Amino acid sequence: MIETVLQAWVSFFRPLGLNYTFVLEPAERSAFAHGLLVTLQLCAWTIPVSLLSGVLIAAGLTSRRAWLARPLQAFVEVTRNTPTLVQLYCAFLVLNMLITQKLGGASPISPFAWVVVVVALHKGVFHAEALRAGIEAVPAVTLEAARSLAFSSRQILTQVQLPLALRFALPALVNNLVDLVKMTAIASAIAVGDVTYESIMIWSYRDNVLELLLLILLYFGLLTWLVGAGGRWLENRLRMPGYGQ
Amino acid sequence: MEILLLLMTSDMAIHKTPGAARTAFTLALALAAGAAHADATLDKIKERGTVTIGVLANGGVFGSVDPATQQLVGWNPELARQLAKGLGVKAELVQVQTATRTQFLISGKVDLLIASMELNPERAEILGYAPTPFFRVGGAAATLKTSGIAKWEDLRGKPVCVSQGSSFARPLAADYGAVIKGYKSSSDSLLALRGAQCVAAVHDSTLIRPLLRSNTEWAEYHAPIATEVLPANSVVWTRKGETDTIAAVDEVIQDWHRTGWLIGTEKRLGIEPPQPLLQELNAKFKQGS
Repeated sequence: MIETVLQAWVSFFRPLGLNYTFVLEPAERSAFAHGLLVTLQLCAWTIPVSLLSGVLIAAGLTSRRAWLARPLQAFVEVTRNTPTLVQLYCAFLVLNMLITQKLGGASPISPFAWVVVVVALHKGVFHAEALRAGIEAVPAVTLEAARSLAFSSRQILTQVQLPLALRFALPALVNNLVDLVKMTAIASAIAVGDVTYESIMIWSYRDNVLELLLLILLYFGLLTWLVGAGGRWLENRLRMPGYGQ
Repeated sequence: MEILLLLMTSDMAIHKTPGAARTAFTLALALAAGAAHADATLDKIKERGTVTIGVLANGGVFGSVDPATQQLVGWNPELARQLAKGLGVKAELVQVQTATRTQFLISGKVDLLIASMELNPERAEILGYAPTPFFRVGGAAATLKTSGIAKWEDLRGKPVCVSQGSSFARPLAADYGAVIKGYKSSSDSLLALRGAQCVAAVHDSTLIRPLLRSNTEWAEYHAPIATEVLPANSVVWTRKGETDTIAAVDEVIQDWHRTGWLIGTEKRLGIEPPQPLLQELNAKFKQGS
């Protein structure tokens, strides 16, 4: 059944000059399918981890505690101002090697985990800046009202500032998440088997670059569209009459 | 993301519209079917007075960037310059990467490739090449002295680092059952080996052996397997069906063998051990003349 569908697919694209015969090769087909799955897993990990780190960094930045805010500011600057690929290389090839030498065996952190950490922290910084804008946009009278009701500063953050900041920052956050989904493709640089990596490995043997790139573009297009659609749904759902519009 | 973009731009240069893509591919198919076409590339090279050659410079004697002069030096660049001289034009060298070198050639960014790129049937189907080889290279495995690897079969089920686009990936996985990890370049792959991401790194023996011999940082590593994986001839690559260019390039290479220039260059650059193929072809072409 599946074989017939794939066969039909291959013969449909052949007259257009596109050679998709790799899908008839079980090893390459399963490698590509696994790549699709790994990209999905990367997204499923990096999205929540980046949001969580974004919230924590934003909370630290707006905390008015210099010992916390200053180092975080420095971290934000360094992370924002250097390319993600360079960060990944530094983490995986340098930091990881030092850890390995120290422990004398294989490193406990897998390449997959390095990608999640580097990408999530990189995008977490951008989330934090978006959230900071939202937090600082909360009117002073609202905070005064909260304080007069004897809210502690933690309560003010979690129950007043963050819910409002989220609504302000949501379009920027969704924007960041779309970028994050695309950014997972750098995993291919350190041999994590995402869809880009598996495609490179297939086309370096078959040289069917155009065919595979079209598939990659379609796949990332679908993923980013889903993120965007989710973002719009949230915006509608969280809309508060008379606020942030 | 950067990677994707880079590849896209190089690819889109030729395939701006679906129509153009189709023509390009039908053309490629027609050529693959065996139709011989005279090519415009040689005319263009002569007209411009320069030939653009893609060279691979991934460190070592086969190609690297001289830190003092920022010039490309080593085996691949020297051959490229000499080839241009042989064709009677100026050389313009473009540095290429293993994973994307084919795209540079197909998209017309370079006219020829001298990029440590060995002859195999899959490549020969989509590209053209000058049939006289200028070297022969196989894969050697660098591994920790304590790894216990002694033959290719010992790599079964173990992670092995290669560079993306390496022709060794397929035989290592298919014949020896190794788990292949492909990195962007050979230097990344070797760093990954040092970071214990894999038990061995397999690259051209011409990269591995000098590295292990000369570099004290690699004192804990050795290349214990005497045989080479997939020994194959290095050739100059062209686009498919460019028969005139191929003929002109091949003549120059045959001349290198006849005069012994390749053997001299090998010795001058300190490439060890010397490749027996060069002696063989030197004798053959001397006899022929």
